[in-house]
Amino acid sequence: MSAALAPSHRAGSRRLSLRATRLLRRAVLVIGLTFFVIWTVVPLYWIIATSVKTNAEIYSEASLIPRVFTSIHYEQLLTKTPFLTYFKNSVIVASVTTVIALVIGVLAAYAITRLHFRGRVLIARATIVTYLVPGSLLFIPLFQIAFQLGLTDKALGLPIIYLVGAVPFCTWLAISYFSVIPAELEEAAFVDGANRLQAMTLVTLPLALPAVAVIALYAFTSAWNEFLFALLLISSDSQKTIPAGLAGLINGDVFQWGGLMAGAVLASIPPVLLYMLAQRWVVSGLAGGAIKG
Amino acid sequence: MQKSTLTDVATMPTPARAGAPSARRLLGRDYQTAWLFLLPLIVVLIGLIAYPFASAIWLSMQRKMVGGEATFVGLGNYATLLFSEQYGEVFRKSVLVSAVYVGVSIILKFVLGMAMALLLNEQFRGRTFFRGLLFLPWAMPSLIVALAFRWIYEGSPNGLLNLILIDYLGSDRLVQWLADPSIALWSVIVAAIWQGTPFWTIMFLAGLQSIPKELYEAAELDGANVFQRYRFITLPGLRPVLIITTLLSTIWTANSINFIYVLTGGGPVNATMTFPMLAYDIGIVGARQMGLAAAVSVMFFPFFIIAIYFLTKRMLAAESRA
Repeated sequence: MSAALAPSHRAGSRRLSLRATRLLRRAVLVIGLTFFVIWTVVPLYWIIATSVKTNAEIYSEASLIPRVFTSIHYEQLLTKTPFLTYFKNSVIVASVTTVIALVIGVLAAYAITRLHFRGRVLIARATIVTYLVPGSLLFIPLFQIAFQLGLTDKALGLPIIYLVGAVPFCTWLAISYFSVIPAELEEAAFVDGANRLQAMTLVTLPLALPAVAVIALYAFTSAWNEFLFALLLISSDSQKTIPAGLAGLINGDVFQWGGLMAGAVLASIPPVLLYMLAQRWVVSGLAGGAIKG
Repeated sequence: MQKSTLTDVATMPTPARAGAPSARRLLGRDYQTAWLFLLPLIVVLIGLIAYPFASAIWLSMQRKMVGGEATFVGLGNYATLLFSEQYGEVFRKSVLVSAVYVGVSIILKFVLGMAMALLLNEQFRGRTFFRGLLFLPWAMPSLIVALAFRWIYEGSPNGLLNLILIDYLGSDRLVQWLADPSIALWSVIVAAIWQGTPFWTIMFLAGLQSIPKELYEAAELDGANVFQRYRFITLPGLRPVLIITTLLSTIWTANSINFIYVLTGGGPVNATMTFPMLAYDIGIVGARQMGLAAAVSVMFFPFFIIAIYFLTKRMLAAESRA
């Protein structure tokens, strides 16, 4: 790869330095990757290892590697706690948030990238600004609003709060995806007699489908992962999402680490799976807006 | 590629058809459809963001308990935070803690994210696998990450770090990773960068791929070594990505309390009390003084205005060039 550090070298020593650079490159790569793999895997390992250890090994004879494997924490989580209810609530909350944010975002992005009207730039700018407004500033008033609207202790109150982050983000992503789909395609459809609705649903949206899937993934995972509002607003077991439910496993200062880590594994599976399925698009999509600059 | 840009459409001449109503000429060809499509967005932007934003500022000028009556106190809450005996010290401390927390996190995420991106940008077998693996922390729920680190940092011999220290490194002293005021902030920072670094890596990787290969080839022919190539090609090429990532990450890191909330709750003795944690502590957990809590957040807002201003400009410019 890296050739000619010093072009004046004789052929022999040049081949040698070439080999030396290649070796050095290899060494840096191996050392660097080893560091990052350890850095990434250790916490993941500790979550999984704890979830399959017996309580004895977790609390009294602590061990790095489980000596005895047990599924007791998973069994207890699934049968003795309402974990499955929490899971169901999380799926509902995240799905509802995703659908609403997606519809709002796609409609708005379509208008901003395809329609001619005064105020277009203003709306685009407002979307970004609202996306960037510090969450800590909105937190207290939103908490108050949630109380006033009676959104407390209802799982379906959460999506309304989650729209705060999801809508500007989805709109912004949809704008950057739509703007790379040629507008000429729709114009061709108009020539063939299509109306605006047909042009949108039959031409642009099908082309934007992979992008829409990525936007949905973001909206879903961020709603799935949110926990501050879920903890504050929900108190009944029947309405809790997974994060709020897991926090319930903490009794005062006593942490049921086996159960918590089993819950951690189960709660991580959906977002991690979704992300693995869409990895390629996630990487290009997220950076899409940035690299154009 | 779409030819029109965000900046010129508003003034774009609309086809002046015979008998076209003047509202169309004034407001743009498709103004009716457009505002219909934008209506839900506008409802959310105003109802859930602009209104809470305004009420945060209004709230910061009131004395108000959760669920109680509000009395207008003008700048009283701000004076309380800056000068009162009860809150002055913790507020000043939160300024310092926030600066350290955000500054150190950003620098470490930059260094680690850059190193990870440069490694993953190399050609080697299994690259896709390593990318998937190293990005995993980013896909995990942050409550889960925070809980896992709480367990890793556990102060008893059962916590992972103390277990390694005692069983494998022969130490005889337990370290209180989260309860020792001189260590706690650093422990929280490590958890935050563990989850946050992949975002930087992803951004840098995308940036690296947009730098033309020819630049490197030309530099090699000219005899530039690996450091020179990095300094004069890679870094300048990553500049746009770097600016956006830094600003975004600064806003997110400064405002998120996920890790602090789960790991330390702001303690021990306010050693990890960043300003949003303080606002939460004053407004919702402890004193339940919502007005005072809002004042904490509002006071820090000016710092973000600069970041928001530059980000908005850059993100819009990026869009217009698409």
